[in-house]
Amino acid sequence: MATSGTASSFRTSVSASSRLTHLRSSPFKVPNFTPLPSSRSHSFSVSCTIAKDPTFLMAEAEKTKAAGSDPTLWKRPDSFGRFGKFGGKYVPETLMHALSELETAFYSLATDDDFQRELAGILKDYVGRESPLYFAERLTEHYRRENGEGPLIYLKREDLNHTGAHKINNAVAQALLAKRLGKKRIIAETGAGQHGVATATVCARFGLQCIIYMGAQDMERQALNVFRMRLLGAEVRGVHSGTATLKDATSEAIRDWVTNVETTHYILGSVAGPHPYPMMVRDFHAVIGKETRRQAMEKWGGKPDVLVACVGGGSNAMGLFHEFVDDTEVRMIGVEAAGFGLDSGKHAATLTKGDVGVLHGAMSYLLQDDDGQIIEPHSISAGLDYPGVGPEHSFLKDMGRAEYYSVTDEEALEAFKRVSRLEGIIPALETSHALAHLEKLCPTLPDGARVVLNFSGRGDKDVQTAIKYLELGLHWSTGPEHSFLKEMGRVEYYSVTDEEALEAFKRVSRLEGIIPALETSHALAHLEKLCPTLPDGARVVLNFSGRGDKDVQTAIKYLEV
Amino acid sequence: MSSTKIFQVRGQPLPRFPVRNHRMINTVVCGFPIISHHRVSNVLSRTSGPFLGYVPARTDENPFLRGDSNGRFGKFGGKFVPETLMSCLRDLEDEFNFVLSDHEFQVEFTAALRDYVGRETPLYFAERLTQHYKNIARTTGDGPEIYLKREDLCHGGSHKINNALAQAMIARRLGCSRVVAATGSGQHGVATAAACAKLSLECTVFMGTTDIEKQSSNVLSMKLLGAQVKSVQGTFQDASSEAIRNWVGKLETTYYLPGTVVGPHPSPVMVREFQSVIGKETRRQAKQLWGGKPDVLVACVGSGSNALGLFHEFVRDEDVRLVGVEAAGLGLDSGKHSATLAVGDVGVYHGSMSYLLQDDQGQILRPHSIGVGLEYPGVGPEISFLKESGRAEFCTATDQEAIQACMLLSRLEGIIPALETSHALAILEKLVPTLRDGAKVVVNCSGRGDKDINTLIQRGMPSSLC
Repeated sequence: MATSGTASSFRTSVSASSRLTHLRSSPFKVPNFTPLPSSRSHSFSVSCTIAKDPTFLMAEAEKTKAAGSDPTLWKRPDSFGRFGKFGGKYVPETLMHALSELETAFYSLATDDDFQRELAGILKDYVGRESPLYFAERLTEHYRRENGEGPLIYLKREDLNHTGAHKINNAVAQALLAKRLGKKRIIAETGAGQHGVATATVCARFGLQCIIYMGAQDMERQALNVFRMRLLGAEVRGVHSGTATLKDATSEAIRDWVTNVETTHYILGSVAGPHPYPMMVRDFHAVIGKETRRQAMEKWGGKPDVLVACVGGGSNAMGLFHEFVDDTEVRMIGVEAAGFGLDSGKHAATLTKGDVGVLHGAMSYLLQDDDGQIIEPHSISAGLDYPGVGPEHSFLKDMGRAEYYSVTDEEALEAFKRVSRLEGIIPALETSHALAHLEKLCPTLPDGARVVLNFSGRGDKDVQTAIKYLELGLHWSTGPEHSFLKEMGRVEYYSVTDEEALEAFKRVSRLEGIIPALETSHALAHLEKLCPTLPDGARVVLNFSGRGDKDVQTAIKYLEV
Repeated sequence: MSSTKIFQVRGQPLPRFPVRNHRMINTVVCGFPIISHHRVSNVLSRTSGPFLGYVPARTDENPFLRGDSNGRFGKFGGKFVPETLMSCLRDLEDEFNFVLSDHEFQVEFTAALRDYVGRETPLYFAERLTQHYKNIARTTGDGPEIYLKREDLCHGGSHKINNALAQAMIARRLGCSRVVAATGSGQHGVATAAACAKLSLECTVFMGTTDIEKQSSNVLSMKLLGAQVKSVQGTFQDASSEAIRNWVGKLETTYYLPGTVVGPHPSPVMVREFQSVIGKETRRQAKQLWGGKPDVLVACVGSGSNALGLFHEFVRDEDVRLVGVEAAGLGLDSGKHSATLAVGDVGVYHGSMSYLLQDDQGQILRPHSIGVGLEYPGVGPEISFLKESGRAEFCTATDQEAIQACMLLSRLEGIIPALETSHALAILEKLVPTLRDGAKVVVNCSGRGDKDINTLIQRGMPSSLC
């Protein structure tokens, strides 16, 4: 574990300066929530442990723990890059040098006026900061109770940033840092393409060579974003190994980095990964929280009462929370993706359902099976679809400083629709998770409580996903009788993918000369699986509910691709 | 008291244009000589003097609000509308004049622009673009500095929201519960739908069937925002006509929200006024950045709202060159273009007199451009006036040049501009070599290009990209 001497001094200087900016009530009060039990009853399955913790590290962690309930004494992170027991640098030796170099550069640039001035200039003129703290009048009205009481809801408008999300804050800063380090080549991996586009954007801005690794399957699904990245001058490399998705792309990117470590900087998009990334990304996003504090002071002369943000890897949430961790009267709420539901096994609720383990070089909560293998996460929003979570979130959860809840796909889609209609702002599906949690949160809040929600991204990119739900006539919730029948086990329910439905659409058109509606095609597609299981001569009646003239355009588009 | 407030809000007053402006005619670069026979087509009412019963509400103190009291800019503009609309337009005009000086409205509007739209938008020094042009300059290292006014960062992705939000607020003040609008590329539709959602107004957007096909994601966005999208056989022109028809049917409860500086008075003045925040911010930011004024302003012109928004503030500063860029489509000779000012004649369309694309019979020609927002057969009357008075220069860029410019800015600055905006950027290629070293050029980066990605792919971009 390489550490630099400047590390601890940096932390002290930062907390000392932040101490000047605001007064703090020192005794830790827990008025609004009860800390979660810190001793989780079941055993921690630690997967892929590369380095064993030396005892003195654990002692350090214990010390942080002993600091107990006063967040001002917490070391986030300590000199070993650990948040309590989370975080660390579980990486191959070849990368250790690059990480220490990065850490040193980061600490020296944190106090470098030139760098800070240049960064501030770019954030202002290129990214378009500061982003407004917007009072959501109609949303507040929506959550007002019958007696006229209710919380006041404010949105921190990160969706107005260049490229439409908070991601750019970090990408710009890291690119600038790479330039300072004299590295001319940037690599990054991307799943849905958002992080790739942000990285390609800043590389174009600074004239750096940019290589993006992306799973071949993802490239097909996200053709538009691939085009966007190439338009911005980035080279997009398809990864065909393994499942050809994000985690294979990540492995490939790390392989590249190990090979070209002298010339290359690896831009990580979230507060995950080995130290110093979680700290660095957090500090680059911390501008969100700092602006919020200032704007809150201007708008109502105080602090927010509750902060809400969605958590995938956790960068946008950390950006908002970081500034307020020491203000113990500010409640912090992170919202994870529960996908089809926490019990379905198809979700991305790492903090709610995961165990502690090591992934991508850091210890944190993970979604893993009994053998410590990573479980594929699921969420309707690509940005929350991550099997891990930032180590600092794990820490804040264990310390009981932040609360974490989860929201299903369906609830998120409802919120997506609701906020579009009420405020005229289309949120990203990631952000919709945070917005959906307001449904549960608001009735429990006192009158006049000020809620600040991190509106982390705009939803233009998700409109296509919404089209799928709208055009196919599938509703976001099914009728109550179906729920009942399913519960009673009288009717079996299966699901069919878009692809299978389209196949059935083609098949039935060709075989029977009847073009079925895409809705009907779902029923037809299920025959593929059903028929082999049926006895000879069984008679199947299928409700051919509609004809497909209306869907021909849609189908052609998909089938051609 | 209130009059001083107006000055603060409005910035520099604009009086009638003095004759001496004609001296600047020689700066026209690509414009055609003005065709002398002015045909007036579709004349619904001829007006030379003020209308009977015309109420000059507060206009005496603000003569600079319009070309003249009749909504005319020189010979352009006016109110060529059926009688039924006159009282409606008059109410609108009164309300508009009132809100300009109404403190309450201004406070609400300023707050909405700041917190909802995300103003002010940066004036961004495009370092790498500047360097690019310096590198290709003949004399080494000389060239102007290029700044982008980042309207693409506004909520909704273009400058359209400035105007939509303000007018929706007026609609609410007039007691209308319903807003109708027509849209071409869908940008104005999305902006209107967003503003209506925010202010809880019912919203109906008319859109041509061909446009609906091309811009399906914008259509869905509008629906998500709670607007009703009605399809009209044809394109934007037909949608506009249909929207106006719908409005005339329900004048009491409905507000027609024009998205651009065309249509009968007061709509050109009103839209210009609400967009002029672009120019005002530019002046202030220029002062901060280099302590002076810009030397050249560049903006694309479809019907002209983003161009006027930027130009208006600087019209009286004669040392500031104003350059508007129209879409030449497949080329001016091809007949497939939207270069109204370059080859159009004067006529009346959608309620006001202006340059138009029309055939010998005065029938409107179908415009074409890759930037859907530039596809309009007319142009704002004030833009026509600026051209005729020689105060502004107008030139054209083809589809191909626009695509090239779009790719160039994406690669150099990491900003994907809308194809409309790309026309303005395309002209830099020709403009920059003629400028002195260190001249400050401000380009209105009016919208972002996310909506155009599909078009770019279909247009057979270099295969390396796909």
